[in-house]
Amino acid sequence: MRHPTDGTLRRLVDEPAGVADADREHVANCPVCLSGLAAAQRDAALTGAALHLDTAPDVDTGWRRLSRSAADERPRKTVASTTPAHRWRAALRSPVLAVAAVVALLVGASAAAATDWLQIFHTERIAPVAVPDVDLAKLPELDAFGELKVTEEVSVRQVADAAEAQRVTGLAVPQVSGLPRGVTGEPTYHVVGKASAEFTFSAAKAVQFAASAGGKAPPPPAGLDGSKFRLVVGPGLAAVWAQDRPVPAMVVGRVTAPTVFSSGIPFPTARDYLLSLPGLPGNVASQLRNFSSDGTTLPLFIPADEMTTSSADISGVPATVLTSKTGVMAAVVWVDKGVVTAVAGSMSADEVLSVARGLRWSR
Amino acid sequence: MDVSVSVVVPVRTEGRGAVRADLEEVFRNTYPRVVAVAARVLGSRDQAEDVAQEVFLTFGRSSVPGGEALRWLSVAAAHTALNHLRSGRRRTSREEATHHGEAASPDVADAVVTLDERRRVRAALARLPRRQAVALVLRHSGLSYAEVATALDLSPGSVGTIVRRAESALRKELNQDASSD
Repeated sequence: MRHPTDGTLRRLVDEPAGVADADREHVANCPVCLSGLAAAQRDAALTGAALHLDTAPDVDTGWRRLSRSAADERPRKTVASTTPAHRWRAALRSPVLAVAAVVALLVGASAAAATDWLQIFHTERIAPVAVPDVDLAKLPELDAFGELKVTEEVSVRQVADAAEAQRVTGLAVPQVSGLPRGVTGEPTYHVVGKASAEFTFSAAKAVQFAASAGGKAPPPPAGLDGSKFRLVVGPGLAAVWAQDRPVPAMVVGRVTAPTVFSSGIPFPTARDYLLSLPGLPGNVASQLRNFSSDGTTLPLFIPADEMTTSSADISGVPATVLTSKTGVMAAVVWVDKGVVTAVAGSMSADEVLSVARGLRWSR
Repeated sequence: MDVSVSVVVPVRTEGRGAVRADLEEVFRNTYPRVVAVAARVLGSRDQAEDVAQEVFLTFGRSSVPGGEALRWLSVAAAHTALNHLRSGRRRTSREEATHHGEAASPDVADAVVTLDERRRVRAALARLPRRQAVALVLRHSGLSYAEVATALDLSPGSVGTIVRRAESALRKELNQDASSD
């Protein structure tokens, strides 16, 4: 018979009952396999010793600590889930989403002196902005500059299948033609409803923001105080390969790209004012200054300490590839015809690219 | 990039706000084992307890069936600890630097050797592909082949292969690091 695999030899080391009798008998009489088994035993012992660390945590102390953390956490969670403005803020706190916010505000103000609501910003491209972790924490939330009123809340729910996700969102559902190694099973589908918010710029708040950063805000340009912006994003959908794991193996998501409407003032005026406020990290400000003022480029804030970015193309559309420096996860994001699509997972950049390029679209 | 909304939120929505009723029971039964899983990855008791606390907090808000708690917690601890490895490594090298700066005592030489060995193991672990690292840590934490297989969506037959590959890679990394020092 054939020699049992290395995996079978390994199992003989510490779970022999799981190995078939025929394999056990073969190994017992085969010098090649016996030698392989000895090597497996040595490596297993070495690894066991290398990984071993005596731990005898005090369970009572641990439980008291957990109880305190759980109690601290609860009130905050309740607030977050019942107060719409908080919920948006929580969403905006996500570094990735903060993009849509700050930029929407910056670029969004762009459309000149339209009197009625006018579409002034629509995502057509994504450009990464590398931000050190510390600066990321300093990125302001929208309500630091005015009043944010949620008009349609972010809502997420799981749906039965791809067809349902497509029916609810009106977006084509990407089908993955070949799953990368390590990703198995059927995905669950989630949909995000359209979300919108109205933002009213407040010069007084901008002054406060500047003061809290230890600086002084210059006087706001005429017309900025009280000007309104409407942010709309979604609907969106995601296929999540997670099973009951804490970290999904792979996610493929699409969302109607953020759009901003304004009743406001010229873009350069608003942008320059915001950029002049103390508190916005200097390197972020200078990179943002370089973005197109035509209101189509969505900057993507990337924690520079943790992620690297590179360019690629997906069927002729420019895409941004994000790779964690630990090599643990990668993502690729692109915008096509007003829809942002992303593939992300615990895999290599090559794997996410191959999934992204192999996507088929149901119509 | 709002994609993160559709990505992150679904994973977090279950049982939000309420802490599950069996949390204390599960905690008391499994805390030492969950800490031990994280400790194998991190090589530090304190950091392992931090990771275990984090994992139990998430578990407390989840609806993972009680019967699967230990497996779920072990997998979560392995992943979370591997995520922490990078920052943890920075901390260890700081500790090490402090250590070297201290006045020599009879035990210092031994302590440095241990720290150095630990550092090499963690670095090697961080370089392994994620699935290999998780399978390795789970198996060495006492999960059966079948449990590791379920946790990682593998066939039980392939768990041995992956663990063997990880151990072989780890041994090579350790030898390589040792000889290059």
